[in-house]
Amino acid sequence: METIKVQNVAVSDLPWIIQHDPSKCTLCGSCVAGCTFNAIKPVVIRQSVTISEGVQPNPVQKNEVRTVIKQVASLTDFCRGCGMCERVCPNDAIKPVLNPTPRKDLLSRDAGPIKRGGRTNLNAMHTLDKIVVGRISQMTDPSLDANRHTFDIRAPFGRVLDSKEIPVKVVDGKLKLTKKVPPVRWIYPLIFSDMSIGALSTRAWEAIALATAYLNEKCGLPIRMASGEGGMPVNLLKSDYLKYFFIQIASGHFGWNRIIKAMPYMKTDPAGVLIKIGQGAKPGDGGLLPAAKVAEHVQAIRGVPRATLSSPPNHQGLYSIEESVQKMHLSLNAAFGFRVPVAIKCAASATSVAVYNNLLRDPYKICGGFFLDGIMGGTGAANEISLDHTGHPIVSKIRDCYMAAVAQGKAGQIPLYGGGGIGLTGNAAADAFKLICLGANGVFCGRILIQLLGCIGSENGRCNSCNTGKCPVGIASQDPRLVKRLDVDRGAQKIVDYVLAFDQELKKLMAPIGNSSLPVGRSDALVATDKAIADQLGIQYAC
Amino acid sequence: MFSIDTFIGHERMSTEDLLLKIEAAVIDGETEFYINASGQHDIGGPLWNKDGKTLHFEVNNAGQRLGSMCLPNTEILAHGSVSADAGWLNSGGIITIRGDAGDTAGHCAAGGKIYIGGRAGTRTGSLMKHDPLYEEPQLWILNGTGSFSFEFMGGGRAVVCGVGEEHSDSILGERPCVGMVGGVVYVRGNVAGYPDDIIEASLDEEDIAFLTEGMPTFLKAVDREELQERLTDWSQWKKLRPLTFEEHQPKKAPDLRSFRRENWFKDGLFADVAVDDGTVINTVNTGLYRLRVPQWENGKYAAPCEFSCPCGIPTQKRLELIREGKLEEAAKLVLEYTPFPASVCGTLCPNLCMKVCTRSTVDESVQIGALGILSAETPVAAPAAETGKNVAVIGGGVAGLSVAWQLRRKGHSVTVYDDGEQVGGKIEQAIPRFRMPHDRLEKELARIESIGVKFVPKTLVDAARFEELQKNNDAVVVAVGGSRNRCFSNWEGIEHLTMGLEYLKALNRGETPRTGKRVVVLGAGDSGMDVAVSAYKLGAESVVAVCRRRPAASAKELAAFRALGGEVRTGFMLSKITPVGVTAEDGTFIPADQVIVSIGEEPVLDFLPKDKDIKTYNDSWLVTNDERQIMPGVFAVGDVIKPGLLTDAIGDGIGTAQAVNQYLNNEPITPIEKKPVIPAERLNKAYFQKCHHCDIPAAADEHNRCISCGTCRDCRMCIESCPEKAISRIDLGDGKWEYVSDASKCIGCGICAAVCPCGVWNLTPNPEPINMYRTYDQKH
Repeated sequence: METIKVQNVAVSDLPWIIQHDPSKCTLCGSCVAGCTFNAIKPVVIRQSVTISEGVQPNPVQKNEVRTVIKQVASLTDFCRGCGMCERVCPNDAIKPVLNPTPRKDLLSRDAGPIKRGGRTNLNAMHTLDKIVVGRISQMTDPSLDANRHTFDIRAPFGRVLDSKEIPVKVVDGKLKLTKKVPPVRWIYPLIFSDMSIGALSTRAWEAIALATAYLNEKCGLPIRMASGEGGMPVNLLKSDYLKYFFIQIASGHFGWNRIIKAMPYMKTDPAGVLIKIGQGAKPGDGGLLPAAKVAEHVQAIRGVPRATLSSPPNHQGLYSIEESVQKMHLSLNAAFGFRVPVAIKCAASATSVAVYNNLLRDPYKICGGFFLDGIMGGTGAANEISLDHTGHPIVSKIRDCYMAAVAQGKAGQIPLYGGGGIGLTGNAAADAFKLICLGANGVFCGRILIQLLGCIGSENGRCNSCNTGKCPVGIASQDPRLVKRLDVDRGAQKIVDYVLAFDQELKKLMAPIGNSSLPVGRSDALVATDKAIADQLGIQYAC
Repeated sequence: MFSIDTFIGHERMSTEDLLLKIEAAVIDGETEFYINASGQHDIGGPLWNKDGKTLHFEVNNAGQRLGSMCLPNTEILAHGSVSADAGWLNSGGIITIRGDAGDTAGHCAAGGKIYIGGRAGTRTGSLMKHDPLYEEPQLWILNGTGSFSFEFMGGGRAVVCGVGEEHSDSILGERPCVGMVGGVVYVRGNVAGYPDDIIEASLDEEDIAFLTEGMPTFLKAVDREELQERLTDWSQWKKLRPLTFEEHQPKKAPDLRSFRRENWFKDGLFADVAVDDGTVINTVNTGLYRLRVPQWENGKYAAPCEFSCPCGIPTQKRLELIREGKLEEAAKLVLEYTPFPASVCGTLCPNLCMKVCTRSTVDESVQIGALGILSAETPVAAPAAETGKNVAVIGGGVAGLSVAWQLRRKGHSVTVYDDGEQVGGKIEQAIPRFRMPHDRLEKELARIESIGVKFVPKTLVDAARFEELQKNNDAVVVAVGGSRNRCFSNWEGIEHLTMGLEYLKALNRGETPRTGKRVVVLGAGDSGMDVAVSAYKLGAESVVAVCRRRPAASAKELAAFRALGGEVRTGFMLSKITPVGVTAEDGTFIPADQVIVSIGEEPVLDFLPKDKDIKTYNDSWLVTNDERQIMPGVFAVGDVIKPGLLTDAIGDGIGTAQAVNQYLNNEPITPIEKKPVIPAERLNKAYFQKCHHCDIPAAADEHNRCISCGTCRDCRMCIESCPEKAISRIDLGDGKWEYVSDASKCIGCGICAAVCPCGVWNLTPNPEPINMYRTYDQKH
């Protein structure tokens, strides 16, 4: 007789069900030894059977006790579906299977709102998948050869002046600038988005940085990486590679002490400064770094003790767009002698166009880029309610901002970068191309990078446990036992390979429409298979 | 000679009409054609003479695709310039254009020769190719070409002489040779913008031989023989050719690993804050990198029986000794905790241990009580050495005797004073003999005496004697228990009550106390049941036991009472006692001709000094300080502090004895350390088959049914189950052993903890720190 009560948590309440086949299992222990979530454990079970042999009742009881692997029925140590057990199992005897009818979320609010990492699992919007590159008329617009023609895949980063505003005069038959103009850098239209030291392990952050340097130095792709709001490695600040990195400042201003201290030792300017106002995954909420991930180096770089670090939802002291321009943009331009473009990253919002307009009209021409982060962006930790229920889709917002600039004759003056779900369904190049056609100058992506490093998180809620510090692949953890699982070189190589293929794929879309440079705003190249999307974006509808 | 003027008056001949006329003439055997064209397309091919004779065309003002699909044995001479696609798909004809050619000249030509005496347009020579069965195509151009020339060229030779374009940045225009995979382009002049997979090389002998041979023919064809010398200074020439397939294999970029080694930060990007040699560990690991480690926590936790026993008797250890065949040791072990294993554990105790026994969740509790009987006659040796300290224990009940037993075992000299005829307290005086054979007690008392405890019965300790005892002893223990029946003063008619304790004492003295026919017993605890059952035995016809809430008696005693016809009334709030019965506050009346009170006893403490600040509870019970004393050197134990079970008193005696011993040794007085009970989920009951009641063995064989909660039963399940063979059993001698897990083999899977029936193995997060991070190290 078992003593189970109906309200006990059962495995069937959990989001993933472990399927274990004892007939294949060798009890090598690997699955339980490798599981970071304590979600499975070996247990002994008894199988009792009364059998009768012979020609009349002759009961003999058999009692066999064997060890099996069992899922833990717990709302804290529950299976995240990461599949490490399956990976390490030599016999395919165990695997997690998605439970179609879980109750865990309903039951596990006793410690307050549910937190997790990943991306929104509700409202998954695949707008870009409903858009195809539809204007490929070889009869009217000769296509290029993606493999053999040459392409100019560069995007501006920095404040681009109106041609009438460029202060030039002719000296000795040559055009000369008569005064300083805002710095503009030409970069690759794919930016490695900001994931902080702290959110990421040292190895994961290093792998992305290494890939960045490699792509620049060995592949000639001017990829830029944003630091995230957890500061930057001092080694990097003092090296020539700094020129490939955006230093980020967010509401917590974490890490800036060491950044400023390193300024006298900088050999080169950073590629840019990115002021993070908000994040698409949890707009209106600050960064959230659970105490489990605030290891000693994170404490040191950030200047805080071990604690759950929540950056404020807003920059303290910024209460308007004007103030953000005057104070943050000005200070950060000044910090690097007005030589380094300063851009701003906001969560996409119903008000994004107003913000963009305001930045465009800034008389000081001090904003060097507008980064809009959409609802499908990822995060290391957030309240699930924020992830699922706050945010704004990116596609129409980029379009709206672009069209607002076009209407004022200011298109391209503040480069637009869109992010949040780039590569969501697997092809970042297609997403980038379409956003560019709709008016973006480039895109930024984060989640796909960690997926390339080895993150097994998925849109179906697999893993998404970046907030626990128990990342099974050592990316979103500061536990040395997990961090050391990650191979920096292999991870960086995957990113490099992906970006090189991205470059090829981007050409494969640019060539058919006959563009050898980025088709910014060439929305005529797109058709939507969804009428509402077509109408909203002002592109052709086709079915 | 076929000669045609395609413009007659204002009428221009269509391409179709012209080509059909030409074809008809060729079929008729005509080989010489003069065509004054007006932009008609496709003049000159594909045509052939059925006898293999050469067809000659002389054309003015040709349109697009002059000489398209031209076959060998066709020679075309065009005066002036021609439109696009001259020589398109040329398969062998010799096409001479004295002027410029339009765009895409020589496009897809795979044979023959095309001579252009001027410039050629954009995409000239694109997709030329060479079928190795035939001669390769040649495309000669006197000046230069437009942009995108020789795109996707796959074979043949093109010669671009650059005449008049010596100052051009690129005589092939912008982005020539994109996608070129075969053939060669000879150029005389600058070229720029060709892709990385095109090689610019100087001429070799074969090239020069080809050009030397071909140049006069070309110049003669385009009627520019005066340039022969100028164009044959081979030092001005070079050639463009694509990388061969073999050469074209993309150069492997240096891999990330070598890039990091050669170009990246020594010791890593985070070397200042992280110690990381970059070693990539396996998902499953041994040693330091195991996520979890097993701990052999033998005896860390109390078994439930041990935990719930006020004396803390570790029955699982007794059964383990039996399992090892050490019956005598098992019998002795319990005597470390109690001198009354047979009388109390085995007979009178309600056995709290058995109520929580893990085995009871499988089938039935291990017979722990009965196990005590096995120790009834186990001898215990007197202490080896005397400490010279003297202790007086006032009161020879189980509490006092427990203290005496423990202290004597430590070598102190202990004297127990009791006012009764015999020591033994309630067991001797009040608990009816029908509950326990008297010799069982006598044997255990004799055992206490046997180790040297001195009994001084029939000695009432009054104030004077107390003072004397204090003076003559190093410590005094007050263990007088409760010797006066409790009553409540608000009851009316107390004078009609019979005192239960006196009633029982009289019985045990061999007297026959007065017993009514209809008896009401106030109180339904174990002693109430003793009174009630005794009343039946002494002739009562009906006995009703009343109590306020639930009966406190053990089930066994209640059952015995009820078996005699006794009735228990709960919720009875007594208000009045009369000679004819008892009345409750709510008016309920129970007739009775005798009412016996048995709601517990309280101490009589008149011997204690009045001037000392001795604390009491309810003016009845002593309150000890944290060191179990009521005044310096005077300890109190048992029911004199708080009424309880016999086992409570014995357990209290253990703690008091420790305090007294520490006091005598001038050590800090500490409480008895109590282990936490083992969490039930750590135990594995799966091994234990439910046992039919009939199959429950004798107590001495209960070791098989005992789960051995928290204590290793040496079953080797862990050793046999460990997948890494990491666990060893180490014999420590003296019948002791331990199990150890080898960190260098263990992967922390926890199978040992899973299979351990006793919950001894525990899996914890690996406690060994890895010092990977730091604040800053300036060396890096």
